[in-house]
Amino acid sequence: MKYRDDVITSLDTCIKCSACTAQCPVSKVNPNFGGPKWLGPDAERLRLESGAILKLALDDCSNCKTCESTCPSGVKITDMILKARRKRSLDQNTPTLALKMRLRGYVLGRAEYLGRLGVIWPGLTNKVLGLKIMRYGLDKALGISKFGPLPPYSQALGIRADQAKDGQNRKLERKVMYFPGCYTNYNEPNTGRMVIKILEHVGYKVVVPDFHCCGLPLEANGQFAKAQVNATHNLELMENYLQVNVPIITSCTSCGLTLKEEYPKVSVPGAERIGQQTFDLFEFLWSLHEKNELPLNFIKQEISLGYHLPCHLRAQGIGIPSLRVLSLIPGINVHNLDVGCCGLSGSYGFKKEKYEISMQIGRGLFEATKIGVNHGDFQEMITECGVCKVQIEHGAGVPTKHPVWILAQAYGLA
Amino acid sequence: MWDVVVIGGGLAGLLAGIRAAQRQKKVLLVTEGVGTLFFFSGIIDYGDVEQLRLLPGHPYQLFDQETINRGRKYMEQVCPDYIDTERSEAVLSPLGLLRSGDLVPKGMKLPNLLSVGSVVLLVPNGLKDFFPEIVVPNLTNVFKNGQIYVENLVVEEFQRWFELGRPITSVDYADYWRTQKGHKVLKQAIGKIKEKFSSRLENGEKSVVVVMPSLVTEYWENARRGKWVADFPLSVMEISSFSPSPHGRHLAEYLRHIFQDLGGEIVFGARAVRSELEPTENGYQRCKQLVVQSKGKELILKAEKYILATGGLLGGGIEAINEKREIREAVFDLPVFIPEEWSSPHFFEDQPYAFAGIMTDHQLCPINPLTREVVLENVYVVGRLLAHWDPWIQRCGAGVSITSGFVAGESV
Repeated sequence: MKYRDDVITSLDTCIKCSACTAQCPVSKVNPNFGGPKWLGPDAERLRLESGAILKLALDDCSNCKTCESTCPSGVKITDMILKARRKRSLDQNTPTLALKMRLRGYVLGRAEYLGRLGVIWPGLTNKVLGLKIMRYGLDKALGISKFGPLPPYSQALGIRADQAKDGQNRKLERKVMYFPGCYTNYNEPNTGRMVIKILEHVGYKVVVPDFHCCGLPLEANGQFAKAQVNATHNLELMENYLQVNVPIITSCTSCGLTLKEEYPKVSVPGAERIGQQTFDLFEFLWSLHEKNELPLNFIKQEISLGYHLPCHLRAQGIGIPSLRVLSLIPGINVHNLDVGCCGLSGSYGFKKEKYEISMQIGRGLFEATKIGVNHGDFQEMITECGVCKVQIEHGAGVPTKHPVWILAQAYGLA
Repeated sequence: MWDVVVIGGGLAGLLAGIRAAQRQKKVLLVTEGVGTLFFFSGIIDYGDVEQLRLLPGHPYQLFDQETINRGRKYMEQVCPDYIDTERSEAVLSPLGLLRSGDLVPKGMKLPNLLSVGSVVLLVPNGLKDFFPEIVVPNLTNVFKNGQIYVENLVVEEFQRWFELGRPITSVDYADYWRTQKGHKVLKQAIGKIKEKFSSRLENGEKSVVVVMPSLVTEYWENARRGKWVADFPLSVMEISSFSPSPHGRHLAEYLRHIFQDLGGEIVFGARAVRSELEPTENGYQRCKQLVVQSKGKELILKAEKYILATGGLLGGGIEAINEKREIREAVFDLPVFIPEEWSSPHFFEDQPYAFAGIMTDHQLCPINPLTREVVLENVYVVGRLLAHWDPWIQRCGAGVSITSGFVAGESV
């Protein structure tokens, strides 16, 4: 295993087959972006050799990680690209971005602060964000596309304190910690509430501490130091729970991937356990089912659904546990479209210069969704990722929701 | 608990998974990447089956002729773009050379070569890894009674790419031809060619055909892409491509969708790292569970049966560890047949390392090369990982993968 790890980190693992470029959703529609092989392992040689960083194209990668799940040789392509981005942010010689771009990075990177502001008076925020003049202003002043499907805000999910008193043996209690993430917290708190309800329904107490943003949007917008601060803060909140094997549950696929992939690299206590103890909600429910602990008293659902696999769920390498769990419910029929990235990729598609690209990337998915609806295969879509949902509704005009809602109906909870 | 876990998403693994899922098995397919179908031309070679069956230990020896034929028919059934005429067909290589294939994509099939009057090679602007200066003389040899013309096709959609010096791969173009817009552009271009040659046709010239790289008209699914008919004003012959191959890519996607529509599930981006074994009642061993590396944690997968389709040295099913001069099978650490000499100094000669692999019994269960005893009762080995053959020299790569994948899918 050690040997293999060494090979993977070495550049020679890449056999230049270009399968990643053939699958890269961005490279397909953006001629300026030479693709993952070019920006990853190819450019890495130059970066290692001369310290030079191909600066501009670094931002064209949307960090969807399709290249990594494509590579037949296990090359960690996006790792190389992110590392180069990090290095660039430390490089004194990098010309500073225009103020507008820096501001935008600040705004889009801080989905959390925006969220905290947005939920103070969601009705007003949504009205303001819905104004054409406001979107025009954001477009001009910050380069946030006036066409991008900015999701509306709602009453925040809030925190749920641990009820266990001091001295009570935590091990005896079946408990999970829920990491809702910014989108669930501020844009779709009802989904978060339903996740909690389901977890309680299957017999777990749910703790939601005052987490900060997982850090992925910060990384994606070049705010690396802040991402590190957030990870440290969140891991501190988790540490005591990680020590006594409390599972950490995510319902957002990007938060899940960050916790599993990035947090183990942070050097604070608990980081060594976070990878194995983080579960996607349905991954967790499936693990209960494998132990015969999942209640199976489902109400029959006569429903056909289309399914979109979010890139960051595919990248977790756990398959599609939601479809496994939903297949336990009698009457449900799911069409797994499997046609690739939706194009939004976090905050990528909100950026003015990326909006068109993001819509072109999603074209295949929009088309397949519309065809499915026109054929009468399904009338509704499900997907775990909040921004994929927003993008599908925007691009295909088909109502989309998190699969937890289907499960909730079957349990009679919704 | 799964009925079957397939490890590897290439041709053998996907076909085995499809067959098993069709037989109502609950199947999970685990794959680290997209599999080697991305390097596959789309042309299925079986090689000289009768002769190959005489070679000691060759995978074809594991099956009777009837089973091999059934596998072939099965492939045709799964993918009706392949029509089994029970003889080999002539197709064009990426360099415009004539080669034969046993099952070929419909659009690659060549007409009667002597009946062709004019051949128009249609070259999309900036197409990567395509060399008209080599292809044209080769085509002259192929179409002995024909005249070869070259038409360049400037596609506005890719003009910016061209200006930037960004190569446009055949995968990019193939995708474009499969959109409504791209189809229209191509149809217009071929219409113009027809117009240009109309006087010749009127003057009694036999026929005009278009030869074109980067076009894939097969592996089309109406359920995901809508209705699309490749109707061009002239008949168009597709040429296979170098890697990454659009034909291979679209076949891979097509098979993946069929597998998933049958209820199969795919775990992408996960590598099977090891297995845990247990003894059986009759003193043998079986795989108890499989350990797969996902992001952040190891997953334990339990199944009744496991199909090992991880490929050979290129696919990663066999690891060669340089420092130790050791060759090992990557998941179950199965005993590997290793030829005494690994390589021959002449590059284009038979290379003995190609024969390294896993030996099996007729059920495809792995056996020890020395004692010939079954090593793991519930593991089935398929595809390139099998021992005693060379897909390149013997030209039977897809044939062995289809046959063994089909047989494993039937017997699990």
